[in-house]
Amino acid sequence: MVIWIILLMMTAAAVMAVLWPLSRRHAVAHQGDPDTQFYREQVAEIERDLGRGVLLPSEAEAARAEAARRLLRARGLPDEGSVAVGEPALRRRRAASALALSVVPILALATYEIYGSPQLLTQPPGARMQQASEGGNLMQAVAQIEEHLARNPQDGRGWEVIAPVYVRMGRIEDAVRAYEAAVRYQSPDAGRLANYGEALVLARDGLISAEAQAVFEQAVKLDPSAPKPRFYLARAAVQDGQTDKAKAAYLELLGLAPPGAPWAEAVRQELAALGAPQPEPAPSAAAPVGPEAIQGMVAGLASRLEAQGGTAEEWARLMRSYVVLGQRDKAVDAAKRARQSLAQDAQGLKAIDAMAQELKLTDAQP
Amino acid sequence: MTRKQRRLTLIGAAGCVLAIALGLVLYAMNDTIVFFNSPADIQAKNVAPGTRIRLGGLVKEGSVQRGADQQITFEVMDAQAAIKVSYKGLLPDLFREGQGVVAEGVLESPSVFRADSVLAKHDENYMPREVADTLKKQGHWQGEASAAPKTQ
Amino acid sequence: MLVEAGHFALALALALSLIQFVVPLWGARANDPVLMAVAPASALAVLACVGFSFLALTCAYLASDFSVVNVVQNSHSAKPLIYKISGVWGNHEGSMLLWVLILALFGGVVALSRNSVPMRLQANTLAVQAAVTVAFLLFILTTSNPFTRMIPPAPEGQDLNPLLQDPGLAIHPPLLYIGYVGFSISFAFACAALIDGRIDAVWARIVRPWTLGAWAFLTLGIAMGSYWAYYELGWGGWWFWDPVENASLMPWLAGTALMHSTVVMEKRDALKVWTILLAILTFSLSLLGTFLVRSGVLTSVHSFAVDPARGTFILVILILFIGGSLTLFAWRAPLLRQGGLFAPVSREGALVLNNLFLATACATVFIGTLYPLALEVLTGEKISVGAPFFNFTFLPLIVPLLLLLPLGQTLAWKRGNFLGTAQRLYAVFGVSLLATILLFAFTYGGPVAAPLGIGLGVYLVLGSLNEIVTRSWSKGTPLAVAWRKARGLPRSAWGTAIAHAGVGLTVIGIAATAWGVEGLGTLKIGERLKAGDYEVRLERVIPRVEANYREDVAVLTVFGSGREVGTLETMKRLYVTRGMPTTEAGILTTGLGQVYASLGEVQPDGSVGIRLYHKPLVLLIWIGSLVMAIGGGISLTDRRLRIGAPVRAKAVPAAVPAE
Repeated sequence: MVIWIILLMMTAAAVMAVLWPLSRRHAVAHQGDPDTQFYREQVAEIERDLGRGVLLPSEAEAARAEAARRLLRARGLPDEGSVAVGEPALRRRRAASALALSVVPILALATYEIYGSPQLLTQPPGARMQQASEGGNLMQAVAQIEEHLARNPQDGRGWEVIAPVYVRMGRIEDAVRAYEAAVRYQSPDAGRLANYGEALVLARDGLISAEAQAVFEQAVKLDPSAPKPRFYLARAAVQDGQTDKAKAAYLELLGLAPPGAPWAEAVRQELAALGAPQPEPAPSAAAPVGPEAIQGMVAGLASRLEAQGGTAEEWARLMRSYVVLGQRDKAVDAAKRARQSLAQDAQGLKAIDAMAQELKLTDAQP
Repeated sequence: MTRKQRRLTLIGAAGCVLAIALGLVLYAMNDTIVFFNSPADIQAKNVAPGTRIRLGGLVKEGSVQRGADQQITFEVMDAQAAIKVSYKGLLPDLFREGQGVVAEGVLESPSVFRADSVLAKHDENYMPREVADTLKKQGHWQGEASAAPKTQ
Repeated sequence: MLVEAGHFALALALALSLIQFVVPLWGARANDPVLMAVAPASALAVLACVGFSFLALTCAYLASDFSVVNVVQNSHSAKPLIYKISGVWGNHEGSMLLWVLILALFGGVVALSRNSVPMRLQANTLAVQAAVTVAFLLFILTTSNPFTRMIPPAPEGQDLNPLLQDPGLAIHPPLLYIGYVGFSISFAFACAALIDGRIDAVWARIVRPWTLGAWAFLTLGIAMGSYWAYYELGWGGWWFWDPVENASLMPWLAGTALMHSTVVMEKRDALKVWTILLAILTFSLSLLGTFLVRSGVLTSVHSFAVDPARGTFILVILILFIGGSLTLFAWRAPLLRQGGLFAPVSREGALVLNNLFLATACATVFIGTLYPLALEVLTGEKISVGAPFFNFTFLPLIVPLLLLLPLGQTLAWKRGNFLGTAQRLYAVFGVSLLATILLFAFTYGGPVAAPLGIGLGVYLVLGSLNEIVTRSWSKGTPLAVAWRKARGLPRSAWGTAIAHAGVGLTVIGIAATAWGVEGLGTLKIGERLKAGDYEVRLERVIPRVEANYREDVAVLTVFGSGREVGTLETMKRLYVTRGMPTTEAGILTTGLGQVYASLGEVQPDGSVGIRLYHKPLVLLIWIGSLVMAIGGGISLTDRRLRIGAPVRAKAVPAAVPAE
């Protein structure tokens, strides 16, 4: 509240600064005509110089003549004289006052409203103080880790700890370097690589560079189901103009999404941006597709898998879809069929087991 | 001298100076301007040996060799071609393998370039503008992708 | 809270500037003194608002308020105090705010000089100046707002680029901006004169200090930037004809011309139209310079695409002000009364020639700087216009100017006597020629440019001193009288002589770079490297760990002609958390010359690459610039009313023209 009073007082002072000269009717003291004044002083100066011996008499005479010529010219100009009296002057003054009274507060407040952060004015200062002190503590911790890393630059674990802190502080370049070091000094790990890639992308303002793409590919190689690198690879495909590939990748990714995965929404938005139809929206999201449609899609997937078989991922997606639809028995059933169909594929079986575990389909254990 | 004569003198002098300046500028434009080329440009345009150019591209990984007395050779490449660069001097702080670089010097033969200066900007994630543009032109920005992984 | 108040003050300043723009113009048109009186009052109010705003931002930096995006991006709670303060303008947003602050400050000074400036002129000037302020405030508020908040606040800032954490760079931008913005006042006065259709010696007298002051600060700013590049970038060069440098050189050249033509106008009431045009051009070039640097057009044409709003806004301001003022000029200039007459051979004629050369030289720099940009935009062809182009076009225009300088300075007003003037410089000619020949003989086989250039520099220095001597001493005058007379000379005469001598010193320093020698080598401990008469021995390479960087320090013992003259240290630094490597050059000053070493990579076997330079007389380049600025300052303190008294045609040539 106090701050608003201060702002209003500032505005009032600004308006007064304009109104004050307008209110002084006769106050503008008749300024001595600076032109003639100037030349008079000039002539006086010449006399002084002559007296001091800096000028020769002949020069002084010439200079005087010059100054006199200019004075005549200056005076010769039509002097319109100031018109500060009378009705029109009064009207002008009123108009100018009205202008100042309206423009200054309106423009200033409007500009501030648009670009300023007036909502911050009411925040109690105490909260800010607390944040600041927390910042101080965190800062000390960061400084300590940095010092430690300066001495032991090969401590990959340390780099990994500090990297996300850098991201949060907005020091993206530092985060990239920290993740890079973390990756370099530790055993390869999909999650770590994905974070490194993500930092690289952030550093390029969202552009997935060749470097980042290579990192994501490596991560996917280590863990094909990791959603983060797959998501970024799909985005890379979008940036390369391979929309169809990207769509397919996103759809696959959505299929992998565990219920309520926070990133599923991001994937859906990306898909929507690509103009793709929205498949099996999570129940939490405002579903534009009715349950019947989902049922239909799931049934379609089920019958296709029944008839032609499919990848472990597809089976896993089917299992999850059933769980999402609340049909656990069918999910258990799907798991069994998947195991039959993928009997030759150890990797696939493992994926199905993992999914079953994740979905807590304990009764589906073989 | 009349006012007119004085004015003519003034205009004459101004004309002379401007004409000289114009001549100098035009001559210098022909003679001192250095064109920017990527290794692929050099092949495509058939740049004659002995021409002074600016060469830009990525420093090929593993190509930097340090000889005696700061004699250094490395290869500058883009998506399509590579060219060997020899340079005597200190490399800039931000010169790194796999990073962008701009070298100015003389093309000795279609595949050898003698640089007398090597530039890198004072910014750690700086990609010289010319290099970035060329790479962008040779495909997507990810055109860089086709170049970089090959060397990894 | 303070930050928000500062933000609001900026919005208030925008509204007030709008009033300051409209009402006084209207008042001047209606000839109403009451409306015109709004100009100074609102100018002072704008100053108060912008000043408060700047103070608020500075406080945010001092308090490390990381809810302000600008502070987060450019500061750090552990940064030394001086860099917290200089961080305020060490970034785009803050530097634009500093720009406007200086603008408002100068507006305030004009507002307070009520007694010496005619009212209409003051009202119109402040109105034009307010237009500039409005444009810049809009630019800041809409595209480069330093008060943008961040919710929740960041825990810590991202620190300033290590290269910018340098005292030299902390004061470089303010100096440069005072120069640029000072020219905006000359510009505003010129536009006001055009609006009023009236210009005379009174005008010139009012504008002269602004031009002089702006010029002196710009000189200092450029010299400071040059020295920073010299010691910080580690390449040993002091001027690269880099577009960013050219962007500051162009207004300097135009401003130098303006400063000289203002003298003609003040004393002889001539060259009015030209002076007005120069004032407009100088500020236009300042705008161009600010924006070429600030918009990022130079580092990349494509950064326009990165922030289209900023780039477009910049372009609109440029077109609006340059186009607008030139249109005003084309429309109103013919109304201006023709000024005094002068013969081609006269002080005025010499100053016209000075203007001609400076303006043309400025034009060649302009072409060389903008041609590559234009070519790339139009054809996509990429070229680089470097030192060879500028040496080839710029030097042939500047050398004749320098040769004529002492002559012009000695010529009388209105009509001069060329031969008579040349006679007064016989001794100067002789000594400089002798110096050139001697130097040439001693360094036979060396570069020819150095003795010639140094001869030119000596000629300039002696020519300037000669001016003071001949004006206070003639044969038979007792020294005491001469001394009294010299002291009695107007300060502007001293200022002129000192500034011109400064030019000579800089020329000597530049010419001597031709004698510079360098050596390059890979050194092991105990090995030596030679550059001319100087030699260094690598003593040791030691790693050192400091708070925010690690460095390898090479310690070198310097020998001059076989004798040990000192040691120097050059470092390769790595700023750990930023991962940013820098090279710190080691510099040993020997008299006016310097031994300069920079360190290359440290090899696995412990040997290091060293580049060693010996640069004789190199300090004169910057000492000369400093002397130039001092000369400008001395001339600035001269508040006498001057009139250029013509010498009667029959008067003896040796007669002293009055100042």
